[in-house]
Amino acid sequence: MDVLLITRIAALIGLIVAVLGLALRWGETMSRPAPVDCAPVRGVPARGVFYAFTLGMAPWTKESTRLHVGAYLRGVGLHVGIFAGLAATAASPYWAAMPPALRGGVALVLAISALLGVAGSVMRLREPHLRALSTADDHVSILLVTLFLAAGALALWQPRFAPLLYLTAGVMLAYIPLGKTRHCMYFFLARGSFGRFIGRRGVLPPATPLVARRIR
Amino acid sequence: MSESVAMPTRPAAMPEAVKAALEVLERQLNQPLQTALEVCARCGLCAEACHYYRAEPSLEHVPAFRGEALRRVYRREHDFLSRLFPWWTRARRLDEQTLAQMAEMAFSQCTLCRRCTFNCPLGVDTPLMMRAIRAMATAAGHAPEILVMLADAAIEQGRDPEMYREGFLENIRGLEQELRKITGDPDARIPVEEQGAKVLYVPLAGAHSILPPAIIFHQARESWTLSLFQAANYGAFLGDVQRAKAIAKRIVDEAKRLGVQEIVLAECGHAYSVYRWEAPNWFGSDYAFRVRSIVEVMAEYIAGGRITLDPSANLKAITYHDSCNLARGAGLIEEPRLVLRAAAQEIREMTPNREQGFCCGGGGGLVALLEYEERRLRAGKPKADQIRETGARVVVAACENCRLQIGELNTRYALGIEVSSLADLVVRAMRLPGAVKQEAQDEPVERVPVPA
Repeated sequence: MDVLLITRIAALIGLIVAVLGLALRWGETMSRPAPVDCAPVRGVPARGVFYAFTLGMAPWTKESTRLHVGAYLRGVGLHVGIFAGLAATAASPYWAAMPPALRGGVALVLAISALLGVAGSVMRLREPHLRALSTADDHVSILLVTLFLAAGALALWQPRFAPLLYLTAGVMLAYIPLGKTRHCMYFFLARGSFGRFIGRRGVLPPATPLVARRIR
Repeated sequence: MSESVAMPTRPAAMPEAVKAALEVLERQLNQPLQTALEVCARCGLCAEACHYYRAEPSLEHVPAFRGEALRRVYRREHDFLSRLFPWWTRARRLDEQTLAQMAEMAFSQCTLCRRCTFNCPLGVDTPLMMRAIRAMATAAGHAPEILVMLADAAIEQGRDPEMYREGFLENIRGLEQELRKITGDPDARIPVEEQGAKVLYVPLAGAHSILPPAIIFHQARESWTLSLFQAANYGAFLGDVQRAKAIAKRIVDEAKRLGVQEIVLAECGHAYSVYRWEAPNWFGSDYAFRVRSIVEVMAEYIAGGRITLDPSANLKAITYHDSCNLARGAGLIEEPRLVLRAAAQEIREMTPNREQGFCCGGGGGLVALLEYEERRLRAGKPKADQIRETGARVVVAACENCRLQIGELNTRYALGIEVSSLADLVVRAMRLPGAVKQEAQDEPVERVPVPA
């Protein structure tokens, strides 16, 4: 067996571990009681959920992201890169058919995201509170993601690096259900729960269009 | 699930307190709590959202750090990798010392204001985790004694209200005289536990939460009656659903017995949260009445023309403090502003305000915990700064604990303000014949006596 095939199998195993592991975690969480809300609603729960996943994620709607716009955009950029990287990995058998400009563009996105990953690691190590908050799991998680993104950029630029991409993808995927990166699944539950809360109780979205309100 | 299955093997001699705390954690571990425990990416963006951190930017005041206290215990119990290699995620087995530290943190360094959740890109519900720790601490005997005592006293009062009824009625008769003087109506009444009334008004401890609403109900010609009990629910601060439910049951039973259509609560943030949002889940179909805050009722009276106000009666510049439980926790954001606009001449908003407003530092039962007074007042500095920046002379808050805290912030930070309830402001703007006395209510509110 050649290296390419072995690493492709590794990536596939990583994917299977990720899917099964997340499915197990999902099942475990869903087996726990869901809170019952009997109180009459004040607002519209669905509007709250919609807001939580759309405008509520915009950097200008939260004070925290207005104060740390760089850190927030770094995080957004990293996550965009991860999804682009996963899509690019899945499409790797067809790279040869891709227009060179598109391939180069995706490689650039992944390279920038990898740099954002490095920046995230540096921030974690340099900023005292962030360093104190971070566990080995945090450092390893961002390292695995960064390596995957860098390998993706390299492989799109030079196909001989494809085995490196598959290997890093396999390890990163297999680690998802074990480590901190599993927040990719809980994100949807957390934002959904927040959205239902603000929607039910009529806290957000605001009754008047956001553009009409002064930033507060 | 049996304990032997749910819990990993532990030393045989686990202290009872720790065992009790872990059992509570297991019981509380529902979908939202597990999500909150799993989702945090430890990005630290929540830091400045917390008023404790704004006042003193230290690690222990970062909400994510507080959440980690419970997460470490949770991981040690529930996470595969953390059980094999605890150092990997800093998982730790719960012991009595850790439990005591967690209890102190949850009761003294978090007011459950939800500002961190609203500012978290992921929506991590840190207050939910803090409530879980409070519940664990209460079960393990680590909760502040005064909160337990107040909760148990309220439950006891519900068991035997007769012991307390006569004294209460006598006080109300005194207030009724005052009501008649102020309204100029010799027939004005403060009905107590009257069958067939439409509204059951539930006050707080002290005449200040009875007389102004009584005046407003009288002027609006409302069919109402006063509850024998108080709206405060210290069981909620303990995170103890059983106690909170027992305290709420007194009022639920009273409302059913009187056949009222609606419970109207005094200006109180946590009571609104308990009776409007939590209690319906505890009592199910027995909870067959509407629950509103007096703030909503006043707004309705004003909008419907049932009471008329003269804003020139309140000439001083006013700013409004959004109680976390009422604004972020319940969406009561525009109603108090509608009342203010009708009752006062000049309103100056704090920045930020509404669902982004800072907690005053008195929430989560902190105002009752004298042992944490210094910490609470230091944490109130961002609110004091906000108030000062408005240049307002009067701060209105629709929550008793907020008013008490802002009153103390006024002294600590020399703000030179008056603190008022919304109802006091409304009564002043009614220009009633005997309302000269109301000027006295310009004085900052004093700490009300704790109910027996």
